[in-house]
Amino acid sequence: MARPKLTYNRSVIRTAFCVLTATALAATALPAADRQVSFQKDIQPVFEKSCWNCHSNSVQLSKLSLASRDAALRGGEHGASIVPGNAEKSRLYRLVAGLDKPAMPIGGKITPDEVEAFRLWINQGAVWEGAAAVITQRADPLQDAPIRPEERNYWAFRLPSKPALPVAAANPAANPIDAFIHAALEKKGLRRAPEADRITLLRRAYFDLIGMPPTPAEAAEFLNDQSPDAWEKLVDRLLASPHYGERWGRHWLDVARYADSNGFEHDFDRPNAWRYRDYVIRAFNQDKPYDTFLREQIAGDELPNVTYDSQIATGFLRSYAKVGFREKDNPELRYEYLDDMIATIGRGVLGMTVQCARCHDHKFDPIRQADYYRLQSSLWGAVEVDQPLAPKETAAAYLKKNAEIDSKIADLRADIRALDKPYRDQLLPAKYQKFQQNVQEAIATPEEKRTPGQVLLANQVIRTVGVSDGEIARIISPADKAEKQRLQAAIAQLDKERPAPLPMAMAVTDGDYRFTPDGPGDEPAPGKGKQREALEGSYLHTGEGRYVPPPSYFLIRGDVNSHGPETRPGFVKVVTYGNPPTELPAPTPHTSGRRLALAEWLVSKDNPMTARVAVNRLWSHHFGTGIVASLDNFGKMGETPTNPELLDWLAVEFRERGWSMKQMHRLIMTSETYKMASQVSEAEGLSANTAKDPEDKLLWHYPVQRLDAESIRDSILVASGGINLQMDGPPVFPVLPREILRSMTNGIWKQKDDGPAVWRRSVYIYRKRGLPMPMLDVFDLPNQNISCGARNVTTVPTQALTLMNNEFVLNQAQLFANRLQEAAPRDSGKQIDLAYQIALSRAPQPEEKRLASDFLREHTLGDFANVMLNLNEFLYVR
Amino acid sequence: MKRFRSRRDFLFESCGGISGLGLAYLLNQDGLLGAPAGSACASNTPVQSPLAAKKPHFEPRAKAVISLFMSGGVSHMDTFDPKPALSKYAGQPLEGKGDVIVRQGNPGPLMPSPFTFKKYGQSGMDVSEIFPRLATKVDELALLRSVHGQSNDHVQAHYELGTGMIRMGFPSVGAWVSYGLGSENQNLPAFVVIYDAHGGPFGGPANWSSGFMPAAYQGTVFKSSGVPIIDLKPPDSVTPEQQRARLGLLGKLNEMDARKYPGNTELTARIASYELAYRMQGCAPEAVDVSVESAAVKKLYGLDDPKTALFGKQCLMARRLVERGVRFVQLYHGGLGIQNVDTWDAHENVEDNHRRHANEVDQPITGLLTDLKESGLLDTTLVVWHGEFGRMPISQRGMGRDHNPGAMSMWMAGAKIQGGQMIGSSDEFGYKAEEQPIAVHDLHASMLHLLGMDHTKLTYRFNGRDMRLTDVYGNLIPQIVKT
Repeated sequence: MARPKLTYNRSVIRTAFCVLTATALAATALPAADRQVSFQKDIQPVFEKSCWNCHSNSVQLSKLSLASRDAALRGGEHGASIVPGNAEKSRLYRLVAGLDKPAMPIGGKITPDEVEAFRLWINQGAVWEGAAAVITQRADPLQDAPIRPEERNYWAFRLPSKPALPVAAANPAANPIDAFIHAALEKKGLRRAPEADRITLLRRAYFDLIGMPPTPAEAAEFLNDQSPDAWEKLVDRLLASPHYGERWGRHWLDVARYADSNGFEHDFDRPNAWRYRDYVIRAFNQDKPYDTFLREQIAGDELPNVTYDSQIATGFLRSYAKVGFREKDNPELRYEYLDDMIATIGRGVLGMTVQCARCHDHKFDPIRQADYYRLQSSLWGAVEVDQPLAPKETAAAYLKKNAEIDSKIADLRADIRALDKPYRDQLLPAKYQKFQQNVQEAIATPEEKRTPGQVLLANQVIRTVGVSDGEIARIISPADKAEKQRLQAAIAQLDKERPAPLPMAMAVTDGDYRFTPDGPGDEPAPGKGKQREALEGSYLHTGEGRYVPPPSYFLIRGDVNSHGPETRPGFVKVVTYGNPPTELPAPTPHTSGRRLALAEWLVSKDNPMTARVAVNRLWSHHFGTGIVASLDNFGKMGETPTNPELLDWLAVEFRERGWSMKQMHRLIMTSETYKMASQVSEAEGLSANTAKDPEDKLLWHYPVQRLDAESIRDSILVASGGINLQMDGPPVFPVLPREILRSMTNGIWKQKDDGPAVWRRSVYIYRKRGLPMPMLDVFDLPNQNISCGARNVTTVPTQALTLMNNEFVLNQAQLFANRLQEAAPRDSGKQIDLAYQIALSRAPQPEEKRLASDFLREHTLGDFANVMLNLNEFLYVR
Repeated sequence: MKRFRSRRDFLFESCGGISGLGLAYLLNQDGLLGAPAGSACASNTPVQSPLAAKKPHFEPRAKAVISLFMSGGVSHMDTFDPKPALSKYAGQPLEGKGDVIVRQGNPGPLMPSPFTFKKYGQSGMDVSEIFPRLATKVDELALLRSVHGQSNDHVQAHYELGTGMIRMGFPSVGAWVSYGLGSENQNLPAFVVIYDAHGGPFGGPANWSSGFMPAAYQGTVFKSSGVPIIDLKPPDSVTPEQQRARLGLLGKLNEMDARKYPGNTELTARIASYELAYRMQGCAPEAVDVSVESAAVKKLYGLDDPKTALFGKQCLMARRLVERGVRFVQLYHGGLGIQNVDTWDAHENVEDNHRRHANEVDQPITGLLTDLKESGLLDTTLVVWHGEFGRMPISQRGMGRDHNPGAMSMWMAGAKIQGGQMIGSSDEFGYKAEEQPIAVHDLHASMLHLLGMDHTKLTYRFNGRDMRLTDVYGNLIPQIVKT
């Protein structure tokens, strides 16, 4: 019988994320000196270089092999590739010449000379000298080409070293950041903007560090502080605020593609995901060194000192979108999840698009396909586990007790089934009657006499038709009924004896994925599911002896069914210096130490990427853009650094300061560069700059930046006074209109009434992959399924509609108005002053006050409050 | 539509949408009370917007798309791809076509269609009895019988048809089109989604997401009753006058502020976005107000019959939107309501299910094609019709059919595509595409082509990579793109 399974077409698995390079070569005719073309000299080298990787003995994409003349004449899915004597009619020629799509070779290069050689060769009869040129792929794909020096000679792949500080003519005592920035500006003849006024700086610091505006009292405290270090004190105060972690944790959660639901059809809830969110917030608040932060997330279960937090941290690895249903019938999914881990570590930590090397060597960067499978092997042992957060003994006792109860209940259920059986047998024939005649006949026919078609029909129905408890209850004998009730009561009693649930972490540890417990949709049903390899083993390693990870294989062309040689753990060679260990002794025998080795490699001082990528992210969230604008891609297709010396200096400094984020914030924020004004005024002679550096790439003024989605909602709540600053814990579900909820009915959205309980900071809102919260979505919430460093910033009318008309916004505007009314009853002048203080941290200018007063003569304070929440000055950091 | 140039219209255009004069100022000058409607809604004000109209790569054949998505999976052998072999081999196992892969339970035996087929039109296209009206339009349709997908799971298959990828998180076709062409009418969204009154399709909003592209390109959901867009209008407690006053004050204060940042286009764009939003408030409800249509038109779309009124209204809204310059209208028939039965997902009984759903869409789709043809819009509008996969030639528990991504039938019309064509074929049972297999990427490549875009050149740089709707695939379907 055919095996039921869900199919993913292989090509999807292979290339869903491929780089796109169409090399459309015009068939420009070179002067056709019709020379005699030699297969061996002119054609075979091109085949080797450009064709045989995909169309030869080991791989035949589109079922085409070019390994021999016969094979080429026979062609593939799309017909013959060569018509000897007629290049114009030969598919091979048309594709390499770009006459037909897709232009071949995909992602490769072929010169006009070579195209011409193909044309002549085919027209001359496509003679294939040396009858069978036997071609093989590289014997061992793991023996990949060594990294050539020129491949490593690229700014991002060289180890950063601390460059000497440029001597800034203007101010020799400058903050080193200023020295680098000033030097770059001077070189281009750019003038710097002056320092911004204190109110602007105050708001900038608040939004940058905690994502909310200052209250009037907080603003006054700073503005009244005349001490020379008032600014430094402000920065320190904000860095010490618990809201700092909420703001900066959110940046990392984008990278970690964190969500509270699985995604896909069922979009199942992840009831413990929020603990990872809280861990991230905590880590930022504690200024956890970035290297420790990474170690915990990649190998928190393998550290010498495993803590609750380090276990929760491993949730990073499994924050991918997950089908979560019938996974056992879809073994390909495991490769997808591993790919997601590799992509996230690659983009998020290394700034490299490693996932592009899943099916072939990377097209632009020297990342080998073997690098990908080495990394996959490093992660191969990882399995998902829900880890009780309790002392070892308590957790063990908890699990043991539950297992005992499960087993007893299973026995009781079996008893119930046995008791039900005669009744079920009695009821079933009637149930079959709702089916068509042919089905009934098939069932009525004795098994051995059924035709093959009847076997299918009978099996489909017999295996899927059940009898409900209710139906049995109607005919059960009193004695059996009493017995069944007794058994059911016993089950209920056992359920009551279950220990109180322990807090659980959504964690990762090593194990053997081949023994994954059944999940939703995996329940064994008669004749359902795949025959699995019979194996000895268990999901988690608990016993004696050392854990050995299950074998992993190089996948030819990324095809999960085309196993190459077994792989060993390892890293991306071009950025690996020295010979770092790929497995480290783990503290328990239950894990391999491979992830620990991976983590150590990532944070080693011999890794050129990690620190650069981290400081660049940090920089980008202060200045709107990174020194490298493509935060997640430092490769050749990414952007080049606008100030490479500064980037390197910061990277090394970051490491030398013990990977302390907070120290880097302080360093950046106390620079003159950070404190520059954003206004480009004629008076300061800055207009000339606009022509030289219109995009402000070298930072001659501070960039005006729109608040991100969360900050906009949080700021509205701060202005209204409604904000509930409670931290941590399970996510909240703000009220959504019915039409929105109806667009995605799977998964959960447990909303209650609008009110302070859901007026929490936006970082605590339930992140549902299938239904992004509309108010945040409209302000460019990132895609929650892919690791994201830099969010989009758009300006569209739907944002205006949201801020003008959305019921939540209008309610908050009314609260804001009530607050003004209470503070200054019936005194519109004072109300306007206060509204400006609350929303913009400043007093209104006379013209503004006049306009507002005029407005309030005819309109309500609620209307005015709504206007304040829509002001550009409210929505932008300056 | 007749262009009436009011003074306000002139001012909107002359100030380029980036207001030198505040919106309120203009309104006060005109003494206008209502939001703009009618002629003002057709204006194509040049504004700095991600949706500003852009030139295609080459001369397009269509300016707009109406996509009719039959959610749940339409059975091809019960609609457009008759299979006599199913009667001949009825009750026997499906053999000789490779692994028999089902979504639920175990495979059943081959099952003939419960419906009869007839040949229609000059083309002699076969259509099942459940589409008696659509059958009269076959000479307008190019039928594709060899389309195949990659997943037999509803959600992944929806994503594939919608975005080219079976994974979540990629931009939808409508988003690519909005990105590539912008909008002809800044007063309306470029990409509109109207889903079934029973609820959203499998996979929800990810079907019309803009993926890694800016949110500006994602589909805007229009409700089929009431105020069409969420947050389009303030609650009833806010009067139009209040709202205009707010916009007036906001405009003035923002103008004062913007003067401090000369040359900052983002701040001016945001000021302009409030004007656009204001115009959208008037234009969006007008665009989908079907009450102004004549009784004859309403009847044409089936609005007079409760069975067809729901989808009929969606189709009529689509025509009105396209008429007003909306680029891409995505309709879904079949949605996840309270029960999962309101879709084409005929596991239990293909006869009941498909008869009912076909009946709900037959008149509306026929009416849409008739109306587009008569108004001349069909020449510049591409209409596509499909589910997310075909269904199995074998039965599921006697009367149902399981999912089958191996073959499905779909059709395209309009955009000067030659009608009456029958392109490709599935095997004798309809299990797999046989002649000229057409992948979803091919479909998408061809759609972009008809809109004047080369699918290999429509790229969006995302983290250093030039992403495409068709990834590294996609071949044009020659019969569709030929002129």
